[in-house]
Amino acid sequence: MTRLKKDLKLILAAAILLPAAVAAADEAQLIAVLKSEASLKEKADACRELAHVATKNAVPALAAMLGDEKLSHMARYALEPIPDPSVDEALRDALGKVKGRPLVGVIGSLGVRRDAKAVPALAKLLADADADVAQAAARALGSIGTSDAAKALEGALPNAPDAHRVAFCEGLFRCAEALAAGGNAAKAQAVYDGLRALPQAPQQVRVGALRGAVLLRGKQGIPLLVEALRSADYVLFAAAARVSMEMPGAEVTAALAGELPKLPPDRQILVIKTLGHRGDASAGPALAPLAAQGPDAVRLAAIRNLTHLGYAPALPMLAELSLSGEGELASVARECLGGFPGQDADATIAAMLSHKDAKVRSLAVEMIGQRKAGKAAAHLLKAAADEEESVRLAALRALRDQAGQADLPALLAILVKARSAAEMQAAENALGALVARQSGPAQGQVVILKALYGDLPAGTSADVTAKVAAMVKDGSMAIEASNGNFGDPVPNIVKKLRVDYSVNGVVVSKTVAENESLALTAISTPPAIVEAICASMAGAPSEAKCALLRTLRSAGGPKALETVQAAMSESDARVKDAAMRALCDWPTPDALPAVGRLLGSPPNRTIKVLALRGFVRLVPQESAPDAKKLKSLQEAMSLADRDEEKRLVLSALGNIPTAEALALVVAQLDSATLREEACSAAVAIAEKIGAGHAPEVVAAMTRVAKTTADKKLAARAEAIARNAKK
Amino acid sequence: MREAPMTRRKFLKAAVQAGSVLALPVIVPAKVLGRDGAVPPSEKIVAGGIGLRGRGMGDLQWMMGNPDVQFVAICDIQKRQREAVKRFVDGQYGNQDCRMYADIRAFLAERTDIDAVLIATGDRWHALASIWAMRAGKDVYTEKPSSMTIAEGRAVVETARRYGRVYQTGTQRLSEANHVFCIEMARTGRLGKIHTAYAHIAPWDAAQMRHDWLPAAPEPPKDEVDWDAWLGPCPWRPYNPAYVSGGWRGHYDFHTSCIGEWGAHTFAQAQAGLDCGETSPVEYEYVANETGDGMVTHFASGVKMILSRGDKYWHGSCGERFDGTEGWAAAADGYSKPDVSSPALLGLYKKVIGDYVARTGRSLDHMRNFLDCVKSRQLTVANPLVMHHSMTTVHAANICMWLKRSLKFDPVKEEFIGDDEANRFRSRAMREPWTI
Repeated sequence: MTRLKKDLKLILAAAILLPAAVAAADEAQLIAVLKSEASLKEKADACRELAHVATKNAVPALAAMLGDEKLSHMARYALEPIPDPSVDEALRDALGKVKGRPLVGVIGSLGVRRDAKAVPALAKLLADADADVAQAAARALGSIGTSDAAKALEGALPNAPDAHRVAFCEGLFRCAEALAAGGNAAKAQAVYDGLRALPQAPQQVRVGALRGAVLLRGKQGIPLLVEALRSADYVLFAAAARVSMEMPGAEVTAALAGELPKLPPDRQILVIKTLGHRGDASAGPALAPLAAQGPDAVRLAAIRNLTHLGYAPALPMLAELSLSGEGELASVARECLGGFPGQDADATIAAMLSHKDAKVRSLAVEMIGQRKAGKAAAHLLKAAADEEESVRLAALRALRDQAGQADLPALLAILVKARSAAEMQAAENALGALVARQSGPAQGQVVILKALYGDLPAGTSADVTAKVAAMVKDGSMAIEASNGNFGDPVPNIVKKLRVDYSVNGVVVSKTVAENESLALTAISTPPAIVEAICASMAGAPSEAKCALLRTLRSAGGPKALETVQAAMSESDARVKDAAMRALCDWPTPDALPAVGRLLGSPPNRTIKVLALRGFVRLVPQESAPDAKKLKSLQEAMSLADRDEEKRLVLSALGNIPTAEALALVVAQLDSATLREEACSAAVAIAEKIGAGHAPEVVAAMTRVAKTTADKKLAARAEAIARNAKK
Repeated sequence: MREAPMTRRKFLKAAVQAGSVLALPVIVPAKVLGRDGAVPPSEKIVAGGIGLRGRGMGDLQWMMGNPDVQFVAICDIQKRQREAVKRFVDGQYGNQDCRMYADIRAFLAERTDIDAVLIATGDRWHALASIWAMRAGKDVYTEKPSSMTIAEGRAVVETARRYGRVYQTGTQRLSEANHVFCIEMARTGRLGKIHTAYAHIAPWDAAQMRHDWLPAAPEPPKDEVDWDAWLGPCPWRPYNPAYVSGGWRGHYDFHTSCIGEWGAHTFAQAQAGLDCGETSPVEYEYVANETGDGMVTHFASGVKMILSRGDKYWHGSCGERFDGTEGWAAAADGYSKPDVSSPALLGLYKKVIGDYVARTGRSLDHMRNFLDCVKSRQLTVANPLVMHHSMTTVHAANICMWLKRSLKFDPVKEEFIGDDEANRFRSRAMREPWTI
């Protein structure tokens, strides 16, 4: 291998692997590659690298390759970016020497380099017999863009074959752009006007010529624009609409608006959209009548674009249309009203709250809910006091998403004065949502573990874990227990929703009755909110107190717990019952002592069952030694007189990893109604205590394997037993 | 190379002269004419395709799913592929009307009846085919990336303006609700003052690309595969069937690297949210790795866009994330809803999307946005200027990695500041006759 070959290999290897490294490569060595007997690939690689580093030194070697069919392109690849006039000279020189495709390439490179000295030679090539050469020359002249280049093209265009027309026009467009950019607007304008006058010009040339002619004239081009808008040629009409979008100013808006009434519906639609796109609100008066009457498609376009413009005088019409029925016009009007930009729209919609017609007021509530403007909650609170219940309920529904802490006193007042059960429920839901929002844990902290909806705790239920998780993902931190959300797994009974979830790793379990909201909180609610809710208990009607107690249960915290416990001494049986239920369902184990006391002396069987369930649920959450938890659960088991609660105790025992807990569970293996829960709990415990209690574990797992009907569970039990024996 | 049956050109000319085929863009919704929503043939957007396979076939089905589109012709340098497209199209319409072309120049020159073309060739052809099509009076929907160099992107912008053409790049996430939500949350200040955006780059390949040639194989007959046309504006190299079947990725002449593979989407997404859709970063900080992962780019406004290869900021492909003083939002493929710093932000989802639609009038269906604009002549969401600037970011980031040094860029002059070598990467001489 020659020295040159070796160097070449090294240089190109560096170039291939580390392109940046070639900046330091020796230009002379790359030039030497070009002059050598190197392969086509090696020469092509050398050209690629020279493109990035070459100086005028490389020009002769590259120029020598311009006539080579195989290397001409790569020579230009290297030549085009070299910032030295010798490149232009070399390319011009090649014009008279190379032929065919290489010539087309050389012409293109002269255009890229905008070599004005090449204009005479390129002008001659406009008449070349090779169509590719003539068309390339036209485009290159256009890129050079001098007056002489334009003149050459203008002279050649009238006699150009049909096949050349687009290329020659392209050249003239490029010239006009260059001339205009260079300050020669008069010549550029003449070029555009010449193209406009071209007989039987292709449609894109008509479009481009009109665009250039109008834009270059500025305001003086508006008559041309109007002429095109009136043209029978749809291409020119559409081009006028398009170019008007590039022309700011009220005069252009006025010109478009002025033509609007004279146009047929199809053209009206395009001009309406154009006016909307321009964003000049002075077009509003022209669009408004078209929104009010006429063909539906025109009206729809006008409605949408009045909205784009934010033309406030159209708001009453939009409101009227919104209430006009269920058709597309009404639905688009509603959509537009909800998204209409600007404070004028907020004010207009707020004013609708005082309208005599309840339908209008309801619409206003709906729109305010959608718009979520700054004072939305204040307006909704006002509407929540409306004389019409439908308006009040709509407002309370909207407040679920809108009310903030500042709205709490007003919302509490509404709840306390609720005029119907439906209103009470709506106010409670809004209050619950407010509490949840204010105390909502940060994103990513809530994980839904299990969610069931149905005849809980022991009856038929549907697993709604995925649905609840999706609702949380969508931003809901207050989950309404309703058939609307979860379907109806058990018709004709009042169902419950139970959600087991964790917040920052702390497991929480909550249950609410159908139509109540379950707030996914575990972080303390701001004290001011709890204080306000507690304060409103005083003097509130019994039903309101019940709602407040349920909300306090969701809020949690010591003050709320204290209030709930105090309410258990109220004289009203409904309030007492609500307080005891709230206590039994308390989300955190600080309620455990009180729940235990209630369990010790329940006023009735229902409360006993609820207290027992709450107790069993809270014990595993308690920060206490396993022995204490076990003792508590043993007491719970002794108090449980139904299998449903015993199953809950067994399930809770599964979380106590001690041999004593295992023994307690194993004792239930003979029960025909409890054996499966006992088997599950036993396996759960045995998996945790394992070999440390081998004899007990082996014995228990052997029994489980023989007892359970669940084959997978039996297999797990056998595996645990095997491992414990090792 | 030419259209299949010899008589077609004569047929079309005769038809055009008779006025039976010429279909100018017609905007009249059928309802205006009392046709109860039916779209008669004369009111349809007449469309053709160039280089459709894989993603392109998906685009074709998307486009043909719109009742106001009539797809009439396919142009492809590969016989098998143009026949496959014809079979599909004819099967959809229940006729034999889809015409086949091998030569793009003949296709564009002859089919003056076609309003819009769908382009899904390999990356190297996107800009040139778009420019040629627009110069021939067509509106263009082209797959990404919109260019191979900064100069190509500028030429697309100029051609679209010159001829008043409607153009959309297939960066469809710009129209998808989850991404629109994040973009609008950032753009409208709901996340506070935005200081950083993150944009996903492809987690495979590298910024450095191949310069080798695959082993030469016998070139098929031109009618089967027109290898010269396949290469188009790129440097010549010998035929190898792997290129034609998609193996062109990773080659410097044909691809825009792992940065362009997804950055062609995600930079546009990020720049839209930063309100930098019509500019490009002024500084690119080189990172000493093979991929550009972690490269920080700075806009003149002071905000940063950081290239990210992994799943740190999202869990899906083609993601973007915006960090502001009051929160963050992110989206990627496969999300049911965007990720946000606080669930309360998602309470604004419907409103933010609704406001976007009301403000722009744009469909959340990217193809529909294009077709609507073909009729209304308005700018699409992925219009030439927006795509040129986001692809300029791609190209500049690549150049930064290739030169292994940080770069400063003037987005108005579209040139690197004080770096002649970097400026030489802004364009590549195109191989004749495949030139602009």
